[in-house]
Amino acid sequence: MLEIKNLSKTYGDGTKALKNVSFNLEDGEFLVIIGLSGSGKSTLLRCINRLVEPTSGSITWNGADICAAKGADLRKIRSQIGMVFQHFNLVKRLSVLNNVLSGRLGRVNTWKSLYYKFSKKDYEDAFSALKKVGITQQAYKRADELSGGQQQRVGIARAIMQEPLMVLADEPVASLDPVLAHTILGYIERMNQEQNITVICSLHYLDLVQRYATRVIGLKDGEIVYRGTGEDIRQMTDREFKEIYGEEAERVNAGKPVKGAGL
Amino acid sequence: MKNIAPIILSLIFPGAGHLYRKHIQRGLLIILSFTSIIGLSISRISLLAHRYEGFFPVLKKAFSNNPGFIIFLFLFTVLLWIWIAIDSVKYSTLKKRPGVFVLILVIFFGLGWQISEIDVVKAAVQMPDAWKPLSKVLWPWKAAITYKTEELTGGADLVIDDPDYVLPALNRTEGKPFVETDPRWGSLSTLDKNNEIVKGTSITVRGSGFTPGEVGEVWWLDSISNEFRPREGGQYLSVTPDSEGKFEFTMTLPYRLIPPSAQGVQINRVEIRQVRRVGGPIPADPLKLTIARMVETIFMGMMATIFGIILSIPVSFLAARNIMSGSWITVAVYYFVRTVLNIIRSIEPLIWALIAVVWVGLGPFAGILALTIHSVAALGKLYSEGIESIDPGPIEAIKATGADSIQTIMFAIIPQMIPPFVSFSIYRWDINVRMSTIIGLVGGGGIGFLLVQYIRLLDYQAAGIAVWFIAVTVAILDYVSAEIRRKFI
Repeated sequence: MLEIKNLSKTYGDGTKALKNVSFNLEDGEFLVIIGLSGSGKSTLLRCINRLVEPTSGSITWNGADICAAKGADLRKIRSQIGMVFQHFNLVKRLSVLNNVLSGRLGRVNTWKSLYYKFSKKDYEDAFSALKKVGITQQAYKRADELSGGQQQRVGIARAIMQEPLMVLADEPVASLDPVLAHTILGYIERMNQEQNITVICSLHYLDLVQRYATRVIGLKDGEIVYRGTGEDIRQMTDREFKEIYGEEAERVNAGKPVKGAGL
Repeated sequence: MKNIAPIILSLIFPGAGHLYRKHIQRGLLIILSFTSIIGLSISRISLLAHRYEGFFPVLKKAFSNNPGFIIFLFLFTVLLWIWIAIDSVKYSTLKKRPGVFVLILVIFFGLGWQISEIDVVKAAVQMPDAWKPLSKVLWPWKAAITYKTEELTGGADLVIDDPDYVLPALNRTEGKPFVETDPRWGSLSTLDKNNEIVKGTSITVRGSGFTPGEVGEVWWLDSISNEFRPREGGQYLSVTPDSEGKFEFTMTLPYRLIPPSAQGVQINRVEIRQVRRVGGPIPADPLKLTIARMVETIFMGMMATIFGIILSIPVSFLAARNIMSGSWITVAVYYFVRTVLNIIRSIEPLIWALIAVVWVGLGPFAGILALTIHSVAALGKLYSEGIESIDPGPIEAIKATGADSIQTIMFAIIPQMIPPFVSFSIYRWDINVRMSTIIGLVGGGGIGFLLVQYIRLLDYQAAGIAVWFIAVTVAILDYVSAEIRRKFI
């Protein structure tokens, strides 16, 4: 169970990205965070694995205080949380296989990993992760030779390699076309359903939210403006969805389609 | 009516009209251009007539020295003056009128032509004269090879002015060249009171045992063995033996002053010398020296690059904005390092070499030192830009897997840094070798040292060999470095 209490983040330049965000999440949920660009979704996700340091508030996960964790403890927590990024964030010059293997970095001997040496089991697991996302053929190619959809599969394989208890996905399909979006989210959903992995995922498109979410949080200017279950969101109309995204988006949307709203 | 003021102002002082109409930037630019045109014109005209004083005498002298320039300057300056006045009225921010600046550029071009002493006629006229040394530079390979030689010499003594003196009998040895003269005495050519040549005795010279068909030089040795080649009709005497190695020719005894202090019998000698190639072609000194210096040059470039890389890596981190943006101290260090790098980089390696020569003396080490200093500055900047352009995404992703900082560097930062690092380093090696070819001009060692010596000795063929080696090496290096860089990106 993940408990977030009064989480706030103010950046060095004074931007208030998160203001007193609180919510609880049971294990095995598929939480979708919706909100405009700049509403704090990415910051919230990155606070959970401390890629961004929260200014105040607390995050407790299965009894462990994430905010207080340091050094080896923090790395152990991070190794249990997989992360998938909008721009894939693969190491472009490394092979696909090495990118997947990097998912194990939190659990292997530092000195061995420095010259890219992993155990036989690590290699077997990496291939099975690649098999799960269907790109075993590409294992020895350089990551930047792959198409966008294939790169995101590598990103997911890297997360699978972590054998995570939770997966954070920061707009994982925003750079991909709609057909690929379902494929990618399908992999994440399978992890969620088959292994009971908690998923926290930010999404833009209402139909995707309705299809995958078991719970939904709406963020606006760093504050939670909507909480609902999967059922709630499936009954939501476009109009209500727009309200979460704010009047501003709606007004722009009246003239021509706004990319941020994704409607 | 409102157009009158700017026109009059502009005629009084070009550019003032624009200021009056609040086109400050354009006005200032025009004032600056116009005053520099006037200033330059005055200085050039007074230089053309530098020993004259007073307005009209100077103008007159300058006109007679270079009428084209004076007419050009006068016409276009007046035209510009009027144009500026018109422009001050017609110009508006809506309508771009570049004409006045085109005119200013034309005048500057004319001034530049005169100041830089451009002389197309000279270039055309002197082309044929320049062709001779240039052709040697373009095809210098005759000087690249040489042959071992062997000298075949045979000679016979003569008594001067004393027919009664008996010289020892000549003995002929088989397989050795043999020369005899008939008669075995004679009188040297002398000068009479009017400095006219009085011809000496004519003798017949016979020889045998020489190499058939090979030209032999005729040499004269006087009584104290000073040797020289006698001439007849302006040409050096020479002889070509027939197919049996024999020859016969007649010559007049050459002019030679017998010093009054000379005592006793004067014996002179005539010698026939044949120079013959032995064996195949061998590399000549210029070729050997050039190759040795070229190797030195390449290694100078390599050493300077290696030192440059080693020293610039730590510097580059201090000069990378994304790494140094932590606190005001690091930002201050960043700006300091950047400024120092920029200053070092803006001073040419040749000037650094001059300083290094004072420091460690002539030779390749001075060149390496100069190139290293410049390389550190250049590579430091390039590397720091490579560090700045690192994508933070993968770093974030690797951190998120629970990797520690060493693993993050190894997996996310190093792979991103290698391509620019390798590319910049090879590029710098390329530049350093190219630079070390000329750094010798100021005493920094390498092939430039040799080249400048050959040019000063007017040995254009040897210089040509050096130039060829530089060109070929640089071309190969250019290709190789481009290939390596292409593979690494």
